[in-house]
Amino acid sequence: MNSLAGTLDAELLTETAQEAPATLDAFLAQVERRAFRVAEFNLRQREDAMDAVQDAMLRLVKHYRDKPAGEWAPLFWGILRRRIVDLQRRRKVRSIVVGWLGGGRDDEGDELPSWEPADHGPGPQDRVQDAQAWGDLSAALHELPRRQREAFMLRMLEGLDVAETAQAMGCSEGSVKTHLSRAMQRLREQLEDWR
Amino acid sequence: MNTPYKSGPDKSRPENMPNKRLEQRARELYHEAARRIDPATAGRLRAVRREALASMQHVHRPHQLARWLVPSGACAVIALAALLVWPSAPHPTAMSPTTAAAGNNGSETDNALPPDPEQADPNLYQNLDFYGWLAANDSQPRTH
Repeated sequence: MNSLAGTLDAELLTETAQEAPATLDAFLAQVERRAFRVAEFNLRQREDAMDAVQDAMLRLVKHYRDKPAGEWAPLFWGILRRRIVDLQRRRKVRSIVVGWLGGGRDDEGDELPSWEPADHGPGPQDRVQDAQAWGDLSAALHELPRRQREAFMLRMLEGLDVAETAQAMGCSEGSVKTHLSRAMQRLREQLEDWR
Repeated sequence: MNTPYKSGPDKSRPENMPNKRLEQRARELYHEAARRIDPATAGRLRAVRREALASMQHVHRPHQLARWLVPSGACAVIALAALLVWPSAPHPTAMSPTTAAAGNNGSETDNALPPDPEQADPNLYQNLDFYGWLAANDSQPRTH
């Protein structure tokens, strides 16, 4: 587990390590696109993703604007993570209710796919230059358990340190390392071609 | 904000290389995806940010109002309570009989209510029959 921690070199970290913005506006401008990508990736629906980002911004401004600028990142990502989980749960409940009401089967009695909101916008793969690679990564990440995926996205993609990731995930630093180690193990197996 | 690991990685170890490549590639794709957000979505994100920051102004205003309104309201309540409890203060709801009597017209009051025994002359009550006779004769016209 600790060997995983050792694999991150300072060069990689400083790539995403940026000085804490002085103003809330600058901070939100810095993270808004990545936040949208994270929300979109997890929710697989653009409108829900936009709602989640908006809610995270509003809550950060309303409740934590007076906090030191260095604390905004873990607070913001923590709020966004909880909002995403809320929306996923709500969607699941809606899906169950639709199933109870008989909407889960078609006329011939075959089971319909669980309820998902329609997404008419282009998917992330269409907008990313290296669509195939992003698609492979997305598919591999979706295979991970939620906590492992969160640890990987916050720690590896967003570049939060272990303590900040733990704060955003609402767990201990040891748990972050465990989730991250397992996530890396599974991703290595699934993304053999990247080696 | 981002603190590098204190235990530095051993780059020479071959088993660490795939991890590093994986991390680097994943992060590149993530940042590229964020950069390549379509203009319409980027515009909506900017609008969302402005809206969130504008809400900060609305949040400030009620706080400032509350800062003044709460003590003012408390002072008003205390003053009202003191006014009601104060012994010499007139009670607006419970009017005394004398106050009520004073509020009516004089002649009507004299006829309707008996004189107050505490304030009237005690001698008045000793010859009530005489005063009754006097009043009856006084109302008749004089013959002289």
